[in-house]
Amino acid sequence: MAAEMAYIGAGIAIGLTGLASGIAEKDVGAAAVGAITEDVSLFGKAMVLMVLPETIVIFGLVIAILSIMM
Amino acid sequence: MFGRKGKKGNYAYTVARVKAKKSALLKEDAYSKMLMMSLPEISRFISESGYQKEITELTGKYNGVDLIEHATYANMANLFKGILDSAEGELKDMIAADLERWDAWNLKVILRGKSYGLDMEQMKEDLVPAGKLGLAQLETLMGYGSEEEIIQAYGKFVDLAIPQNVLATYGEEKNLAVIEDYLDKAYYERLLLNVDPSSRPKRLFQDFIRNEIDITNLETILKLKKEGITGDVILGYYIPGGAQIDKKLATQLANADSVSAMANDLAQLDFYEDIKDALDDSKSLKDIVAALTKYHRKQAKTFTHLYPLSVIPVIDFMIHKETEVNNIRIIARGIESGLDKEIIKGLLVV
Repeated sequence: MAAEMAYIGAGIAIGLTGLASGIAEKDVGAAAVGAITEDVSLFGKAMVLMVLPETIVIFGLVIAILSIMM
Repeated sequence: MFGRKGKKGNYAYTVARVKAKKSALLKEDAYSKMLMMSLPEISRFISESGYQKEITELTGKYNGVDLIEHATYANMANLFKGILDSAEGELKDMIAADLERWDAWNLKVILRGKSYGLDMEQMKEDLVPAGKLGLAQLETLMGYGSEEEIIQAYGKFVDLAIPQNVLATYGEEKNLAVIEDYLDKAYYERLLLNVDPSSRPKRLFQDFIRNEIDITNLETILKLKKEGITGDVILGYYIPGGAQIDKKLATQLANADSVSAMANDLAQLDFYEDIKDALDDSKSLKDIVAALTKYHRKQAKTFTHLYPLSVIPVIDFMIHKETEVNNIRIIARGIESGLDKEIIKGLLVV
C-alpha cells in the first residue's frame, strides 16, 4: 500500500509542478517573444529567463524520485 | 482563473514590446546633437534612429522641414497602430479608446486648416492617423468645402453626435474653440464611459485617465489665468471626471485673482509639490506647461513601475513617443526659422 501511495505522490509532485511551470512560463514566454520581436539581440537573455521556471518542475522531479526510492 | 489570460489581454507580450520600443527612443544627448545639425542632417539622423521607413517613403515627395514633420507624425501613427494590432482583449479595447484622442486632434487640425485656407498637403503635415479614422477618411473630411460638412461627416465616422447647441454657438460665433472644447470633453466622457471599472486593470486605467483630466483642467485654468481671464469663462472649459479637481475646486481656482493666489487651493492636490515652483506670477506659461507635462510623465512612469502588467506601460510609451516627436519637430522648425539654439533648447521637454 505504501508503495502505491509513493507512486501516486510522485505523480502529483510531477503533475502540479509541471502545471506551475507552465503557468510561470506563459507570461515569461510571451514577454520573451515580444522582446525578441523588437530586438533580436535579446534572444540569449530571453532564453535564460524562459528556462528559469523549468526549475520548478525539477524540484517536483526530485521529490518524485525521492518518494519512489524511499 | 489566473487573472491575465484569454480575452483579458496579452499584457506580458505587449508590455515587453513597448518596453523594447521605449528603450530605442532618443536620449537627451541626441537632442543636443540635433541642435548642431542642418535639416538634411537631422533627416539622416532620425532615419538611423527608427524613422527610416517613413523617411524613405516620403523622401521623393517632401524635403527639408516638411519631410521631417510628415515622417515623424507618420512614424508615430504607424507605431501606435502597430501596438494596437499586437494587443488583444481588454488591453486592445483600452488602447483603442485612448487612441481616439487622435481623431479629435485630426478634426481640430482639419478645421483649423480650413479656417486658415490651407491646402490638403499643408494640413496633412499635422495629421496623426492613429485613431479610428484612417488617412483615406481624413482625406474625405479634408475634401469637404465647409466646416459644417466636415463636422457632420466626422460625427458619422466616429459615431459622435455633436449637440445642436454647440453647432449653433459655433455657427453664430464662428469660433473653433467651441467645437474643440466640446471634442475634448466628449473624448474624456466617452473614454470614462467605455472603460468599465469592473476589472483591476480597467480601474487602474480609469484612475490614470482621471488624473490626466486633472492635469488638463489645471493647464487650461492656468493658461487662461495667465491671459487675465477669470470666473465663468474658465469654467466653460472645465472637463468633468477628474480625480481631485472637482467643480467646486475648479470654481475656486477660476475665481482666484492671479496664479500665485491659487497656491492655497492647489496645496491640497497630490501633485502640488511637483508643480509649485512653476506657480509664480513671474514664471512664464511655458514653465507651467513644462512642469505639468513633466508631472504627467512622472506619473505614468510611477504607475508603470507599480503595475508592470497593465495598460499604463503602453500609455507611458505613447506619452514618451509623442514627446520625442514633438521635440524633433520643435528642433526642425526652430532651425528652419533661424531661432537661437538656447531658445530651441528651452522649448524641448526632456
